Amino acid sequence: MDKREVVFRIKRFNPGKDREPYYQEYTLSVPKGMTILEALQQIKDTQDPTLAFRAFCRSAICGSCAVKVNGFPKLACKTQVFSELDKFETDTLTIEPLDNMEVIRDLIVDWDTPLRRMEEMKPYLIPDPEVVPDSLEEESRVYPDELKRFDQFTDCILCTSCFSSCTAVQLDGGYGGPFQLARVYRFAVDPRDALKAERSKIGYAFDMWNCVRCNKCADVCPKHVSPVDGIMKLRGLSIEVDLKNNPGARHVMAFYKSLLESGMLNEVLLPLRTKGIRGVLENLPVGIKLILKGKAHSPVMKPITEHETLVKVMKAAMEVE
Amino acid sequence: MGRYAFYPGCAAKGASKELYESTVAVAEKLGIELVELPEFSCCGAGVLEEVKEAVDLAVNARNLAYAEKRGLDIVTVCSTCLLVLRKTKYLLDSDEDLREEVNEILSEAGLKYKGTVNVKHFHWVILEEFGEEGLRGKVVKPLSGKKVYPYYGCHTVRPQSILGFESSENPQSLERIIRALGAEPVSGKRRLECCGFHAFWPAPNLSMKLTGVNLLDAKQCGADCITTPCPLCHMNLDANQSRALKEVGENSKIPVLHLPQLIGLALGIDPKKLGLHRNIVPVSC
Repeated sequence: MDKREVVFRIKRFNPGKDREPYYQEYTLSVPKGMTILEALQQIKDTQDPTLAFRAFCRSAICGSCAVKVNGFPKLACKTQVFSELDKFETDTLTIEPLDNMEVIRDLIVDWDTPLRRMEEMKPYLIPDPEVVPDSLEEESRVYPDELKRFDQFTDCILCTSCFSSCTAVQLDGGYGGPFQLARVYRFAVDPRDALKAERSKIGYAFDMWNCVRCNKCADVCPKHVSPVDGIMKLRGLSIEVDLKNNPGARHVMAFYKSLLESGMLNEVLLPLRTKGIRGVLENLPVGIKLILKGKAHSPVMKPITEHETLVKVMKAAMEVE
Repeated sequence: MGRYAFYPGCAAKGASKELYESTVAVAEKLGIELVELPEFSCCGAGVLEEVKEAVDLAVNARNLAYAEKRGLDIVTVCSTCLLVLRKTKYLLDSDEDLREEVNEILSEAGLKYKGTVNVKHFHWVILEEFGEEGLRGKVVKPLSGKKVYPYYGCHTVRPQSILGFESSENPQSLERIIRALGAEPVSGKRRLECCGFHAFWPAPNLSMKLTGVNLLDAKQCGADCITTPCPLCHMNLDANQSRALKEVGENSKIPVLHLPQLIGLALGIDPKKLGLHRNIVPVSC
């Protein structure tokens, strides 16, 4: 049977005892097919009973065993040791607790911060009395086409992998977080919900426009939820409910306008269209540098060839339901 | 060598024209034929999706349809264009109902999306056509002794399910190219981090902070310069460098080259033809 000697470099920290975190190495003979979780369990059983990590379902459905493997969040129970070794061309795996949360001990993080933030964002269905019958005799049906709009976001298992890797969470304490904002969108397009698109105002209050679209959340999600898709759609809903006078929404409309006008982005007018005169002033030093280097185009742009087909397509797309 | 439909994107046609110049020069030197289609529109940089998903899909299905008419795969030099075009293709190819809906919209303009062309980044094509060794064979002025920080940014590699050229957790394409050019890649821990470009308008300080810490990482790695395959990352790292460094309390600057500029130098192309004089942070060749 195929076996490899693997060094597990595990980040350890017991706040009651240690002054600061440290790395401890364990060597294990790993057979093909062994998961990170099985490896951690074997280390605990045979080498160090003090090693602390979470593991409940062991079937990639409870989300409790998420840890960082060589820097990237993974469900330990779903990730095989060999595939990680091959990817990084190494015999050593660094296992660390998730980021953006406090460490309770070793690989166990405190979920309170992300979950409390989600709780503040009304992550539950508020029944629309016009749609949801008040007796249990009748069903409240959701048709396949309606479900398609939010189905992917119902697969979230709250493992917090996306929260751990989120760029905006690292820098903005007021940011809602990827899985949380995707959940807001999930209910905003549920036909049974009373708030509907108004929920995008919750997203707005929780800095949804600060998502940098790094797509880490799409990449690390073990259930392929891709929270960034929900965040972008939630932003779209905010424009629908007239939350238009902010740089995020104005930036979107500047692109739309540019495409209708010429088919290409009008970079020169972008600061003005997005932030008004403040946008122009804030970016004046860079703007002057670009002009001096011959990098600025004329504010009047010539339309692309067959621009009329673009306009027809955009107008037809705006009309579809 | 291959023939491709060249999709430069708005940045290379506008404020990053040195990227356009260097790409055309490198392609010519390597014998890669780039046919720029005049019908190509802006991809909407993903934000069109926020106007309406159908608009985003229809605009980009239109772009793909024009490439299909010529029977040419698309090559782009912008990572965000790459992601947007590939995402459209991915969604339309995996959902027949959606494809029909979008084709109904395209039929208004007498167009049809069939799914017959692929979308690639310029540096993927270079590696596919030449490989690391083949590219090394084309080098006439090796960049010996230079330490180059490979800055991937986001949309060149993430999400892997849509980009798919290489692992998004341990990509090596830039390192392979840098090595082929005779330079040494210095792969810092922030090579896959975000520059914050797409949040620049709503959150400029957040955006500049991210760019600042990325620049710091490159300096701490001892890099002589940074290279990136994305003009939007380049905009933040180069044009906005002073502001970004101020955000992290640093003064000394570091040159940032578009990947085709770096390749062009090693291929012996005149720096002027590569538009190096247009970079905001001066590049000494």
